[in-house]
Amino acid sequence: MKIVKINALWCSGCLYMKKVWKDVLKEYPNLDITEYDYDLDEDIVKTYNPGEILPVAIFYKDNIEYKRLVGEKTSDEIINVIKECL
Amino acid sequence: MIYLDYSATTPVNKEVLESFDRVCLDYPGNPNSLHKLGTNNAKLINDATEQIKKLLNVDMEVIYTSGASESNNTVIKGVASKYKNRGMHIITSPFEHSSINAPLNYLASQGYEVDFVELNSDGTVNLDNLKSLIRDDTILVSIASVNSELGILQPIEEIAKIVKEYPKCFFHSDMTQSIGKVNVPIKDIDFVSFTAHKFFGLKGIGVLLKKESIVIDSLIHGGKSTSIYRSGTPAAPLIVSIAKALRLALENQEDKINHIKKLNDYLKENIKDIDGVYINSTDKSIPHILNISIPGIKPETMLHAMESKDIYISTQSACSTGDISKAVMALTHDEARASSSIRVSISYVTTKEEIDQFIKCFKEAIKELRLK
Repeated sequence: MKIVKINALWCSGCLYMKKVWKDVLKEYPNLDITEYDYDLDEDIVKTYNPGEILPVAIFYKDNIEYKRLVGEKTSDEIINVIKECL
Repeated sequence: MIYLDYSATTPVNKEVLESFDRVCLDYPGNPNSLHKLGTNNAKLINDATEQIKKLLNVDMEVIYTSGASESNNTVIKGVASKYKNRGMHIITSPFEHSSINAPLNYLASQGYEVDFVELNSDGTVNLDNLKSLIRDDTILVSIASVNSELGILQPIEEIAKIVKEYPKCFFHSDMTQSIGKVNVPIKDIDFVSFTAHKFFGLKGIGVLLKKESIVIDSLIHGGKSTSIYRSGTPAAPLIVSIAKALRLALENQEDKINHIKKLNDYLKENIKDIDGVYINSTDKSIPHILNISIPGIKPETMLHAMESKDIYISTQSACSTGDISKAVMALTHDEARASSSIRVSISYVTTKEEIDQFIKCFKEAIKELRLK
């Protein structure tokens, strides 16, 4: 399943979520994740309309946006959305 | 014009600028040259370095950088690179500046693991949680002495004592918001970052203090200058100016703090009862910084409303983007407050008349913006 993540280097929440996603990937190693940097990939990021809180994780079901998780979340919250998408 | 953004930067002290000018004009040599124009310049730098060490009561290596962001990058990447065989675990706090978060994010993408220490309800670091996070492979703890948005002063001496029990782990503190403002003893700290423009010095000069015995990898390679950790022709005018700025900042420091505290108390007393206004700074915050939320009014809107009245305040730390304050969110867990916070920062040159004018205009701005 497809997930788009938007992070920024300066963002502490993005740093916090790196460890959480590491745990998620242990359970779901085959996720199709594309990551964009809020500043470096500015033009692409704009097309996702990420809002003001980072990080943003956009989950797709059957290639259609299904849900967004914004800010700091637990691995359980992420896994619940993944289960809904699969 | 009323400037209340002293935590972002300060205007340069005239005496500091005169020192800078004098060295620029009268000391043209390269401090690394062996002739007398060079050695005269090198002596100036050496004297400035000794003065900084004496003023801060430290016996550490003084590494001159372009500012605190470079100092922070130098220590974080330098320790991580040098000690990766020892461990790849780093601990920090949710209150750090972007120049801490960004290199840590970079390191996390290289396989390093970063943990965040929990905060108490007053915003200070939870020391028991810190103890529980330190592991055998922890190589660095990096916690700022004062958070730039909320002004919360951390128990740096206690943190240093805890980290000292782990000889393989270093302690770094970004003291950009405390040095020259409040006295935080630099004891048992391995690395300290700060910059001159926060205490009426010039922009473009910072310091990384490093315990002499510690070896790290350099960020910039290019040969020995004043330090092997920072190559490049030493900026003697800036180095002399930071020593001068520090000396002036520390003069009558207690009187300056008392003046600022009185203004802060007066300001708080006059805005605390305004309907829908919340004070986010806690009793652990230094008096130089007052963080306020006005839910329903965007910080940028309030900033410009005050700007139209010729009063200059700040939204979140100037190096971030967006309207949400991560620091206020981490402290209050309240999105409405985190997305409406402004920072008023006071210095010893601020007057009661300026605070009175701020209070008047702040109340007017809230009324005007709520009517819209």
